[in-house]
Formats: sequence, structure tokens, C-alpha cells
Amino acid sequence: MKPVNDFIKRLHAEVEIDEALIIRSRDRYFLLNDELKKLIGKDFFHAGTYLGKTKGGRFFPSFTLLAMMIEGKANKVVVDDRTEWLFVCGRDVFREGIKKVVGASGRGEYALVLNRHGECIGFGRMLRNLDREDEGVAIKNVSDIGDFLRRERR
Amino acid sequence: MSGQQFFTDRYSQLGWTYENVKLKQAIRVNAMNAQVAETVKRLASRGVGLEKIPFLERGYWANARFSVGATAEYLLGLYSIQEAAAQIPATLFTNPKGKTVLDACAAPGGKTAQLADLMQNTGAIVALDVERRRLTALANQLERCRVKNTIVYDLDAREASRLNVKFDGILLDAPCSGNFATDRKWFSRRTIKDVEENARGQREILAEAAEVLKDDGEIVYSTCSLEPEEDELNIDWAVRSLGLKTEKVNCLGIEASTNVFGKELDRSVENARRIWPGQTQGFFICKLTRRSATT
Repeated sequence: MKPVNDFIKRLHAEVEIDEALIIRSRDRYFLLNDELKKLIGKDFFHAGTYLGKTKGGRFFPSFTLLAMMIEGKANKVVVDDRTEWLFVCGRDVFREGIKKVVGASGRGEYALVLNRHGECIGFGRMLRNLDREDEGVAIKNVSDIGDFLRRERR
Repeated sequence: MSGQQFFTDRYSQLGWTYENVKLKQAIRVNAMNAQVAETVKRLASRGVGLEKIPFLERGYWANARFSVGATAEYLLGLYSIQEAAAQIPATLFTNPKGKTVLDACAAPGGKTAQLADLMQNTGAIVALDVERRRLTALANQLERCRVKNTIVYDLDAREASRLNVKFDGILLDAPCSGNFATDRKWFSRRTIKDVEENARGQREILAEAAEVLKDDGEIVYSTCSLEPEEDELNIDWAVRSLGLKTEKVNCLGIEASTNVFGKELDRSVENARRIWPGQTQGFFICKLTRRSATT
């Protein structure tokens, strides 16, 4: 559970997760509901809500976990439509594509990237202080929902 | 025994004249993640032409000059790409919300995600399939569609009783021979031997499904095969051998035939629905329940 909690904290998010419902299978973490908790057996492949996985000591959150973090104080940026699609295609976010910043905005911080509908399309790391209006790359793409398409091609 | 003439002659005997079809792409809005009207509006603004499919609550024909599988809305799980006839089986369960449902042959997970949607992510779905590649596709689909109520096992449906769970509902979208509407080379690839082999496998899964079904549970059996060995003849066998009975369903399709190539089947097989290729691909659907001691 620690990698999940650490990641949530890193984005200053507040997500209430009942730890008793979290189950780990090898390097992957899942959140069950009460019904699934009663039914779950050994050697499952996937269960409930996939939260993410650890690999090489790093935690890679699922897109569902990112979506769970939207509410509240989590660091987040809202981007315009063009930036949304570029980000989904794996590109970084330029300062001029950011319409709104919520939470910490300093260099090195992580933030959820939201589209104009408030939906999370991934997350990234700030390469500069977002309070400044400088041109250029502001957020390095760490993970985006275009990954679903890239997985199909692997 | 194979080839286009062989198979189309069989279809004629079943009352359908072969015609080539061009399928329209269909999508299904995931109501657990999206407002239907809002999603339709967003897709329209991207240049996706949508037409409501009259026989489906959340299905639309989609027409676009780009892949509708490459929009942010798709990647966010607001809708799924799912052939129109394939959207029917999951809708035939009676009040699935909060229940325990088995998806016996689940990958790649389009119907699993639809079931979760119909169950509003409540209750539990146990989804089975084999092969890591298929299971990975299933897990990706569940993550994309934000499904929260499903456990996936790497388990052959013929061994479902190993789970020691009895199910309120069982979706048995059986591995089948497919049909020419979704496979241009179907007639040159398939022989009657394949069809018979698939039919045997389907009976084994049906038998296991009957084992793990609660007394008041429901099985929805479906295939995308046009071959009666995998459809009417299997249902006739299930009714005669597994203590199951068919239930009337209200969905697209015509009554299944009770006389197949001169063989008289149980009359109740007519409750099943056969969909010949046309506005959708070919499909076969039957709802089964356990026959009580008095019926």
C-alpha cells in the first residue's frame, strides 16, 4: 500500500482508500469492493479497480487511480483542446496550452493533466515554475491515456 | 465439406438467401462513465456522425473519417466500439444489478465492460479466459472503461466449477466459427469439421455453466456463428441433456428453427433468436434457465 499512498501524497491529493480492500498480486495493486473481497480467490489475473504497479522501485499509477485523485487539493493543470490531443499522443505540455493551474506549481512538482471537461488524461512533472508565463515546455509527459493504444501495438 | 457453395446451400435450407453485407461500425456509450447525450454531442463536435441503433438502448452507428478508437473520449472509457449484434446478449439478464455474474469466455472484454455498465459497477463479475495475450487485452479494456466489479482468472470456462461459486447469471458468448460478415476469407478458411469441433467445445462449456448456475439463475448463450451445430442443435442438446429450458427474449432476430436439415428439435428452441447478416453481423442468442422438477 505504501507505493500507492506515497504517489497520492506526491501530488498532494486526498483519496480515501480502505486499506483492508487493497490486494496485491506480485507487483500490482488492486482495490476490491465488499462483494469482490468475499469472492476473490488465489491466482487472479485482475481484480476490481487496478491502482498501479511497481517496477524497478518506481510506482506506475493506473489511469483509474489518477481519476480518483482529481477531486480536492491535488496538483492539476487544465489544458486546451489542442494540447489535450498532443498530450494523449505522448507529447509534453507547453505553457501556452495550460488554461488553469491548481495546487503546487513549482519546478519538479507532479500534476494531473485535465482536459477542459475536467477529465484526467494523464500526469506529468513540471519542468519550470508554472506561475511564470515563459514560452516552452512546462510539463514533461510521464503517462497519458494514449498508452491504451500503445499497449495494443506492443 | 467446405466452400462458399456448401455453406450458402445450408443457409438456403434454413430459409435465408446469401447476400454479401457491409457492416456499419457501432459504438456503445458507457453510461457508468458518461452522460449519453453529452457523449453524443462531444463526438458530433469531433466530426463523428452518429445514428441511434433502434434496437439498442445505448448503441449508435458511427461514421467518421478517422478511427473512432483514437479519440480522447474513447480512451477515457466514455464509449466502446462494439458490433451492434454483440451488444444484445448482456442486455438480456433480468435485473443484473448487485448480482454475481460469470462471463465465461470474456476476452477481449467488450461484453464484460457492458455487463459492468448494466450492473452500474455493483455486485461481482467473474471473467474467465485463457492465454496471457487475451487476458491482457481484457484487463486493458476493464481499466479503460473504469470497471470496478470484476475479477479475472486465467481459467478455461470448462473448469469454472473449480471456483466454488454459484452464479445468478452466466454470459456464455462461446468461442465459435464466426461468420463471413466479419471475416472476408471465412468461406475459404472454414470446414464443417471446424464447426463440429467448435460445437463440441461449446457443449462442454454449456455443461459446466449448468453446473455453476444457481437454481434461479440465467444463462445467456450466444455465438456469432451461422452454423446450426453451434446454435440450435446445441440448445436442443442443452434442453434435452442439462435440465435447462429456454426463455423467450425480446430482441432483434427471428425465431430459431426447430427443424434443422430434416431433424426435429425441441419446440422450445424457437425461443432462441437467430440474426442473419444484414444490418448487423450474423448472431445467435438464447436465454436458458434451470428446469424445475415440475416442468
